[in-house]
Amino acid sequence: MEHYLLLIISAALVSNVVLMRFLGLCSFMGVTTRVDTAIGMGAATTFCITISAMIDWGVEKALLEPYELGYLRTVAFILVIAAAVQFTEAVVRKVSPAMFQMLGIYLPLITTNCAVLGVNLLLVEGKMNFIESTLFALASSLGYSLVMVLFAGLRERIALNAVPRLFAGPPIGFITASLLALAFMGFSGMSTN
Amino acid sequence: MSTPESSAPPESFFPGADDRDMVEGFARVVAISGGKAWAEPEPAQSCGGCHSAGLCSIGKQMGNPSARQMAKRFALPGDLGLVVGERVVVGVREDTLTKGALTAYGLPLAVLLAGGILGQEIGHSDAMAALGAAGGLLVGLLGARIVAGILSARGVLTPRFLRRAFEAPPDAACHTEQG
Repeated sequence: MEHYLLLIISAALVSNVVLMRFLGLCSFMGVTTRVDTAIGMGAATTFCITISAMIDWGVEKALLEPYELGYLRTVAFILVIAAAVQFTEAVVRKVSPAMFQMLGIYLPLITTNCAVLGVNLLLVEGKMNFIESTLFALASSLGYSLVMVLFAGLRERIALNAVPRLFAGPPIGFITASLLALAFMGFSGMSTN
Repeated sequence: MSTPESSAPPESFFPGADDRDMVEGFARVVAISGGKAWAEPEPAQSCGGCHSAGLCSIGKQMGNPSARQMAKRFALPGDLGLVVGERVVVGVREDTLTKGALTAYGLPLAVLLAGGILGQEIGHSDAMAALGAAGGLLVGLLGARIVAGILSARGVLTPRFLRRAFEAPPDAACHTEQG
């Protein structure tokens, strides 16, 4: 159990996908102008990363590894991610059309989110079993969502303040992101996973 | 999400107290039938984006766009006097998005994880863990459908009519930083 706990803390905080591995920066800057959009995007990404990680684990173990097709990994994983996003869209639409109205707009953004592919490739690198892979993917994406919501909250506050003209918009966003990354560096050394 | 008092819109901005803290969006009335006005949300810019948005796939809709729009159609009360083609401002409560996200994504993921761990504990193999996770996902999705049905029946997920678009709210003031 302690091993799993360390894996979760490591994936979510110590090696945060956005602030430590610098993945998913496009959505990090693009979808964090409001907290509600950050929550929607974070939840959708968490679901898709976890589902695609499960499937990619199966693809890796059943196809790529036994037949020595490692050179097809990136292409195969991209295909799986696109399929997982389409599956998620179909599921949300089926579960509740009303929810699809609210949450559906974030799904196309996930296909082009490099954090999804990045987490899946890290799983292969880590040589994890199924449960470890699923936990790692879930924790990584929860870390992504946490940072998105934190950053969106900060940007909402910044928008209410007078920012020098030269720093208005993306520049103050990047400065805030760098300060947030410095804060997350405080977690370094908590886990070596 | 709290709004500082200094930036809060004037009281009369909202038709009723319940309309505070709403996530707003534009919709267009596309049909009047069965005593109701049917509206479709205007495609939202989910990505704040950059200047090359026209070149990237973000924001473009997958699949058949008209079918997607049809799936997003919702009903508004027929006694508002809306006409086809009219733009309106609709909104859902801020916590609705969180509730929706937790129901649609959180619940299936939690049950998926529980199923995977259960499979691992029982079978002590990756195959059993994967089977447990897949079973958990199906159960979770079923649970999500039930919870979503309950929320829909309560009207929590349905967007509410707030006002006609371009209809200036009484006593509304512009609050841009530039003044």
